[in-house]
Amino acid sequence: MRIKQHPIIDDYGKGAQISFTLDGKPMVGYEGDSIAAALHAAGIMTHRYTAKRHTPRGVFCCIGRCTDCVMIVNGQPNVRTCITPLEEGMEVQTQYGVVNREQWEADHQ
Amino acid sequence: MMRHDLIVIGAGPAGLSAAIEAARLGMDVAVFDENARPGGQLFKQIHKFFGSKEHHAKERGFRIGEDLLADAEKLGVAVHLNATVMGIYEGREVLVKHEDETVHAKADAIIIATGAAENMIPFTGWDKPGVIGAGAAQALMNLQGVMPGKRILMVGSGNVGLVVSFQLLQAGCEVAAVIDAAPRIGGYGVHAAKVARTGVPFYTRHTVVEALGKDRVEGAVIAEVDDHFQPIPGTEKTLDVDTICIAVGLSPMSQLADTAGCDLVLDRKRGGTVPVIDEYGETSVPNVYCAGDAAGIEEASTAMILGRISAIRAAEKAGFLGAAEFTARADEYAASLSKLRRGMFAPQNKGRTDMTETDEGYPLSKSLLAHGFLEPNEVSAFPCATVHEVGVHPVIECTQNIPCNPCQDACRFGCITVGDDIVKLPVIDETKRCTGCGMCVASCSGQAIFLVDEAYEPGYASVGIPYEFVPVPKAGARGHALNRAGAPICDAEVVSVKYTKAMDKTVLLTMKVPAEFASEARFYRD
Amino acid sequence: MAKIIRRAPETAFVPQPDDDLIICRCEEVTKGDIRRVVHAGLSTTNEVKRWLRCGMGLCQGQTCQRNFQGIIARELGVSPADIGRITGRSPVRPATITTFAHEVTEQKEA
Repeated sequence: MRIKQHPIIDDYGKGAQISFTLDGKPMVGYEGDSIAAALHAAGIMTHRYTAKRHTPRGVFCCIGRCTDCVMIVNGQPNVRTCITPLEEGMEVQTQYGVVNREQWEADHQ
Repeated sequence: MMRHDLIVIGAGPAGLSAAIEAARLGMDVAVFDENARPGGQLFKQIHKFFGSKEHHAKERGFRIGEDLLADAEKLGVAVHLNATVMGIYEGREVLVKHEDETVHAKADAIIIATGAAENMIPFTGWDKPGVIGAGAAQALMNLQGVMPGKRILMVGSGNVGLVVSFQLLQAGCEVAAVIDAAPRIGGYGVHAAKVARTGVPFYTRHTVVEALGKDRVEGAVIAEVDDHFQPIPGTEKTLDVDTICIAVGLSPMSQLADTAGCDLVLDRKRGGTVPVIDEYGETSVPNVYCAGDAAGIEEASTAMILGRISAIRAAEKAGFLGAAEFTARADEYAASLSKLRRGMFAPQNKGRTDMTETDEGYPLSKSLLAHGFLEPNEVSAFPCATVHEVGVHPVIECTQNIPCNPCQDACRFGCITVGDDIVKLPVIDETKRCTGCGMCVASCSGQAIFLVDEAYEPGYASVGIPYEFVPVPKAGARGHALNRAGAPICDAEVVSVKYTKAMDKTVLLTMKVPAEFASEARFYRD
Repeated sequence: MAKIIRRAPETAFVPQPDDDLIICRCEEVTKGDIRRVVHAGLSTTNEVKRWLRCGMGLCQGQTCQRNFQGIIARELGVSPADIGRITGRSPVRPATITTFAHEVTEQKEA
C-alpha cells in the first residue's frame, strides 16, 4: 500500500504512471519507483524461490546488499529489484533458482 | 587510470564531510559510492538529530544530507554514483565498477567511509517474505512512499528500532510491539517514550522464535528469554502481524580495509571488526584512513566530524594545510567530538548496565528502561519535569544524559538552560516568563517537552504536545488524552493547533483536560 | 588473526531442534550443516566457508558471516575473534566477468 499522506515527507518525487509486467500479467507503478517498491505497493511479496529448498523469498535489506529480492528482469536473472529503477515496459519474472518458472519446471521433470 | 589527491569511498555523512573539508583545502577529491543516491542513510532519516547547533541538532537527517550535497556540489567534488569500489591495492590504487565497466583510480590518500551493515538474527521462518531489516522498512516508507506492512513487530529496541518504530507509525502502520532480548531498552529513553505514549507495548527479555505463515509472514511467535537469552518454554505469545522488522544492531563494513591490508581488530565497543586506527582515523597502512561507522558504530553526527578529521590529516600530509592550522582545526574537531561522546549512551559506556543515576544525581527511571515510559513517581524526581509556576510553562521529561541542547537555543526568553556541557539535563528558570510559543516543544529532538497550564480554565488544564502525525486534529476536536503508557485516561478537547515554518513540521497540539490529569496526559487520540 | 585451534569439540555431535535453521540465506546452509563440519574437524571461519559455501553466495557473507562465525565459536567453546573472519578480498561485491572485461583505461572526464 502506498502512503497517501505523510506528516514529514511532502513529496516522494514520483512521476507518471508506467506499465510493466510480472510473469506476463500487466502491472502499474510510477516513475521513481524501484521495481521492488512497485511490487510491494501491489501486495506482491514473493520475488523468487530458492534453488535448493525451493522456498519463497522477498525484500529483506532493500539496499542492494542481501540479494534476496533478485528477479529476472528483461531476461536477465539475479537483478536486485530493490535498487533497480522501474522502467516502462519492463518484463519482470519470478525467479526460480536462477531461471524462470517454465525453465525450472522443464529442468525438474 | 584516474589520479586524484584524495579518494573517498562512500558518500554518507562521514564520506561527504571528508570530501567537503578536503575540497575546501584545495584537494582534488573523488567520491565513489555504490548506491544510486548519495547521502548514505541520511535520506532515510526523517527525525530531528541530537547534539548542538555545530552538530546540526534539531535538523532532520534528510535536510542535513541535502546541505552536505549542496556543499559538495559548490566545491566541485566529483561524486560518482553506482560506482562500487571492488578492492584497494598497493600504492592506494582502487578498482571501481561502474555499470558494466571497471576503471582503476589512484590517490595520495584514501578515506574508507563505507558505513555499516545491519546485523540479523536467524529464527524459524526468518527467510520468509515479510521479515525485513529496519533499513528496508525505512527505504520502503521514507524513500519509496510504500508502507512496509499493515501491522509490524519490531525486534530490537536500540535507537534504530525505536526511531523506525516511530516512523512506521508516522507512515500509517501499526506497531504491534517492540521487543528486545536484553533486560533493558537499548536506545534513548525519549525515543522509546514517544513510541510508548501512542500505545505500543514494549517487551524486554523477549525474542522472536518463529515467523508464522506459508508463503509470507502471517504472524509472529515471541517468547521470554532466560539469562542466557534462551527462550523459556511456555512463555510463547502469538502476535497478529504481517511484517517482522529486525533492528538488532549494525556491524562496520571492513572488507575494503581488509583488501588494503589494514590491521583489523574485533572490538565490541565499536560494533565488530574494525581497522586499527590512530586519533585521525589513519589505519596501519599509511595514508589509508577509515572514518564513520566503518571505523566504529556511532551516530551520524560523530561520523561527520570523524570524516573531517581524517580529511585535514590527509591534507596536512599532502601539503594542503600548514602544521599550525592543522593543529588548530584538529583541536576544534576533537572538542566538538568530545561534546557528543558523553553521557550514558557514549561509546565508552556501551553495554554498561550499572548506571543508576544521572550526572546530576537523579535516579534513572527503571520503568523507562523496561517499558519505555516514565512512571509518575519517577517523573517527580526531575525538577525540569515538575515545574508548577503559574500560567503556561514547559515541562521537560528529559531524564537521561544525552548530548543535546536545542531547547536552550529555542527559548528566546532564556527560560531553559543546558549549559556548556550539553549532556546535562535542562534547567528551567521559573522567574523567566513563558509565552507558550512552543518553539522549545518543536526543537526537542526527543519530543520530550510539553507546555502545561494547570489553571487553564476553572477545573481544567491545558497540555501542549509535540504532534507529528496526519491528519492533524483541528481545534475543537474531541477525543481522549493518553498517558505516558499510551492508555486513554480522560476526555480531551483540542483547543489549539500551532504550526510555523520554524517548527519544521512538529505541530504544537494543545488539548484541554480535567485539571487532575495535567501531569499525566501526554498524547491525544480522536 | 585466527589462532590455530588444533582440537575438535570434546563432545560428540548431538542433533539440536533448530539444526534445520537457515543461516546462510544465499547458499541455504543450515545451522546443523555448520555444526556438523566443526565436529568433523574444521575450526576457522574461512575453512567452513570454503567447505560449505556459506558466505560465498551473492551477498558475499554480509548477512550471515557474523552469525555463522558465532555458531563455530560456540561449538568450539572459543571467542569469535579466535577463529578469524572471512578474508575480505577484491572483488568485494559480485560482478559479471563481462564487467571485468570492460576496463576503461583512458582518463575519463569527470
